[in-house]
Amino acid sequence: MSKYFATSQEIKQLAEELCKSHEIYGPQVDQQSGQVFFDVLSDLDALDLDAAIPSMPVKEILFPQMERILQYRYDDATQNVTMEKAYAEKPKVLFGLRPCDLAGIQCLDRFFLGQEYVDDVYLAHRRQSILITNTCTRPWDQCFCVCTHTGPAADEGYDLDLTKIADGYLVQVGSEKGQAIADQRGWTPAEARQLKEKDAVVDRSVEAFPALAKDNKAWISRAMNRITTGFVKHEIWEYIGNQCVECGACSFVCPTCSCFNIEDAKMCDGECERLRTRDSCSFEGYTRMAGDHNPRQPVEDRRNKRFFCKLSFSQSKKYLRPGCVGCGRCQWVCPGDIGLPNVVQYLRRETTA
Amino acid sequence: MCNSLRHEETCQKNDGLCPIVTFPEVVNIDEIADEAPEVKTFYMSFLDKEVEKNFRIKSGQFIMCTVFGAGEFAVSLPPSPENDRFHITVRAVGKVTNALHALKPGDKLGVRGPFGNGFPFEDIKGKNIIYVAGGIGLIPLRSSIVHALQHRKDFGRIILLYGSRSARDLLYQPDIKEWQKTDGFETYITIDRAEPGWTGEVGYVNTLIEKANVPVDNTVAFVCGPPIMFNSVIDDFMKRGMSEDNIISTLERQMKCGIGKCQHCAIGRTLVCTDGPVYTYRQIKTLGEVI
Repeated sequence: MSKYFATSQEIKQLAEELCKSHEIYGPQVDQQSGQVFFDVLSDLDALDLDAAIPSMPVKEILFPQMERILQYRYDDATQNVTMEKAYAEKPKVLFGLRPCDLAGIQCLDRFFLGQEYVDDVYLAHRRQSILITNTCTRPWDQCFCVCTHTGPAADEGYDLDLTKIADGYLVQVGSEKGQAIADQRGWTPAEARQLKEKDAVVDRSVEAFPALAKDNKAWISRAMNRITTGFVKHEIWEYIGNQCVECGACSFVCPTCSCFNIEDAKMCDGECERLRTRDSCSFEGYTRMAGDHNPRQPVEDRRNKRFFCKLSFSQSKKYLRPGCVGCGRCQWVCPGDIGLPNVVQYLRRETTA
Repeated sequence: MCNSLRHEETCQKNDGLCPIVTFPEVVNIDEIADEAPEVKTFYMSFLDKEVEKNFRIKSGQFIMCTVFGAGEFAVSLPPSPENDRFHITVRAVGKVTNALHALKPGDKLGVRGPFGNGFPFEDIKGKNIIYVAGGIGLIPLRSSIVHALQHRKDFGRIILLYGSRSARDLLYQPDIKEWQKTDGFETYITIDRAEPGWTGEVGYVNTLIEKANVPVDNTVAFVCGPPIMFNSVIDDFMKRGMSEDNIISTLERQMKCGIGKCQHCAIGRTLVCTDGPVYTYRQIKTLGEVI
């Protein structure tokens, strides 16, 4: 695939051009809180490619927290129903994705579009989206993507990939869609020296992990082995489960968590809508059926389920990789101490002690 | 064309016809029949006749049924795949099923499906079949019973063991009378406690296994009912030396999508909606979660 060199000015022009035909999303820093959000860019000047990893995963755009998928009206008197599809199919560009978030999107792609059935709603979002990744030139406190093999640079799955080098960006094309965009720009082909420069940037980023990314480490492969072969003692699941307060935050910030709920809501004017909302397997009501029969009772059962989903071989077959992408957000938000990296530590400590 | 990536495999069980996947098709409620207290049967037909023609089911499959304004629920299909009226039988237990029970003939419902693997009918030709049903567990088995009786000569003994709380709670009574006319269809019915006017068996359904002197060799048992009944029936069958592969049941779980995406029905590594809902006892044992 082709490689180009573009100046910062040219990258900005690319955003301006794509903005005309697409809704553009990118990282921006909230001035008040200092938090980074990956959101619609109403002002292109707010696009900050040097910003830290966004607080919320980018799945929000392709698989929103709450989404209307169907709208209908039922008339009791005439016993008639009118129904229409309600999700919008808008072309979107995700500008400046971090590689871990891209890996999350790939997991969702393989799960929603690659199993027995294709999920129409996700497909509608995904079909017209352009993914532009941005290599991390440094890690942040909670990052552990080197453990999950998802960063600091993206390998595949992007349309265009940007890497900041000395006097501009190295642009790598990853798909036909990306090539079509590149063909319309007057970018100069990259020189060998610039490719080497990217390698050096990535190497420097990896080397900075011990000093900068101090919060988390996770020996994923070892934990996967233990979970898949059922070598984890029940006591350790209890220890993990006892720390869970069932807030569901880990699922909502996880780039690969994809469980959802479907509810029909009646609005005041007789109009009804079918909502698809994200769900979490840590909630007690997740498996509860009508008549209050709940086959999955204790909290350690439910915790066990989430880590099984992230780290077992059978689930990895669906994602074609482990279900963890090393972003460290679950560790950030967990009120207990059971973010995924810590759970991996517990499993290891238990089995090696 | 359906959106299954494994179209051939998914749709082959329904004669190559695709299920209704994302948006419900509208059906009209033609008739509502009371089966038992809190249990009603809804006979229905599709508004779009083209859809009706392409809607083919297999015994043991389920549909997602929308009660407009209330929500959607998963429900097993009692009609036989051949020559039977399309209907569902539902007990009012939750929010949506109660809303369903409040409907009248002429009201509309939404239907998606059929989903799930269905009973393995091809593999059990020539064998004896024992149906063991507890309470509303007869509903998912009805499809299979009618289908087996329609092909009576393909099977050995066909036995129905059916237990219910009381005589009033017995489902499909006219149907059962009809089935008993078929040559060699053995029925044993019991209720939990004796009551005036009841002359049949009294006791739990597993006591019927002894009475019916059920065969074990070359026999398949379909077991469906509440967990406590399921466990005691399994125990009795195991004591008699039945193979775990020949005990077949259908599981129920909370379901939202029916196509393996919402993950609510995940048990261990399987999804009840796409890998199930029909499992052998050997599979159920290894799933690692209670019934």
